[in-house]
Amino acid sequence: MDTNNRALPQPAAFESDSWIDQRIAVLAPSEAWQPNVASGQSLLRKQVNAARSRGPRHWSWVTVFAAVAAAVIVAFALTAAPTPRVLAQRCVDCSIAIWQSISPAAPAQQNLTPTDKRVPAPDFTLTDAEGKSIRLSDAKGKVVLVNFWATWCGGCQVEIPWFRDLYATYKSAGLDAIGISMDDDGWTSVRPYLKEKPIPYTIVIGNESTAKLFKVSAMPVTILIDRQGEIAVTHTGLVTKSTYESEIQSLLK
Amino acid sequence: MNVTAPSEAILEVEAAASPAATFDIDSLFRARFDRVARVVARVVRDPARAEELAVEAFVRLWRTPQAHTPQAEAWLYRTAVRLGLDELRRQTRRERYEGLLALVRRNPTPEQLHATTEEQTRVRAVLTSLPARQAELLLLRSQDLSYRELAAALHIHPASLGTFLARAQNSFRKEYTKRYGHQ
Repeated sequence: MDTNNRALPQPAAFESDSWIDQRIAVLAPSEAWQPNVASGQSLLRKQVNAARSRGPRHWSWVTVFAAVAAAVIVAFALTAAPTPRVLAQRCVDCSIAIWQSISPAAPAQQNLTPTDKRVPAPDFTLTDAEGKSIRLSDAKGKVVLVNFWATWCGGCQVEIPWFRDLYATYKSAGLDAIGISMDDDGWTSVRPYLKEKPIPYTIVIGNESTAKLFKVSAMPVTILIDRQGEIAVTHTGLVTKSTYESEIQSLLK
Repeated sequence: MNVTAPSEAILEVEAAASPAATFDIDSLFRARFDRVARVVARVVRDPARAEELAVEAFVRLWRTPQAHTPQAEAWLYRTAVRLGLDELRRQTRRERYEGLLALVRRNPTPEQLHATTEEQTRVRAVLTSLPARQAELLLLRSQDLSYRELAAALHIHPASLGTFLARAQNSFRKEYTKRYGHQ
């Protein structure tokens, strides 16, 4: 039996809900309004004829192929393309390579403050990646290189390989080095950086007060502290590797 | 509610691949355009826009061979109501954004002011906030569609229509009361 054609009983809820019926009834257009059949028919013919002239709408193989290709490219771009951070890093690496290739081998200079005019280095305590407290005063008796840097700082990327080499060469002679990162998001940026480019000396995350202690207003800033714990020289901006080496050698004597 | 017989004389429907070859859209249009436009005009404030959307419903019916059945008329009304509700939602959204930008806010025309009463605005606002099928059912019910046609148009089993309608009415009442209090 075809249930659809059977006379169906009207459920009670279907009978009437006069309040709602009244609400819906206010939407009825005015009886005076007569839809314009002629203009409607003309519009219909226009649209139907346009559809006829276009032919049936169906996906062609070319369209499907183009859509799939576009999806693959987008997926590849989203997953395999470098992130903005990696791209920025590559730009920095590239500029470093260019700078190093065109910079002249400047003669070593010494800018050390005379011993009697040196001031004691302000002490600070910061924590390293393992959460260990690092105090500057703990390194007293050694020549300490304190480098303020950041992962986004191009000049710092030039210097860090020098410090890596100098630390490896002069560690046994009494050189210590502390890299103070000034990245706003701290270890979130620094940890991946160190994973990619390990630094053998101590790295800590700095803060505003540490930067103020050493009057850091731009980066990179590198301070050399002598064995007495006094500031021997402060370099703001890039100097040459040979300058650092010469100064370290003098301070280690 | 009247149980109207499907318009077999009007719908020269055959199951065929090409809608244009077999479906007499012109006859159906002449017979039903007035009614369909009035259905849309219930939802959309602008009568000229209601006529355009009514034409669009006919074009969609013509383009959809699967709808060329004895229930084509119900399909047509549902499509018209759906187009109207979509348009109303678009209008509401646009007005909301324009309200944020006072510089580009357009004042209603005298025709719009005349055509729209406060109660109509309220009912339309409530309908746009309901789930689409509930709003469609409440609007289609106000047409002279049979119980069977309504169930077919909304793809609801006839036995469930009563429950579905009660739920729609309840949602409408609740939403209306929430917005405007007990009227």
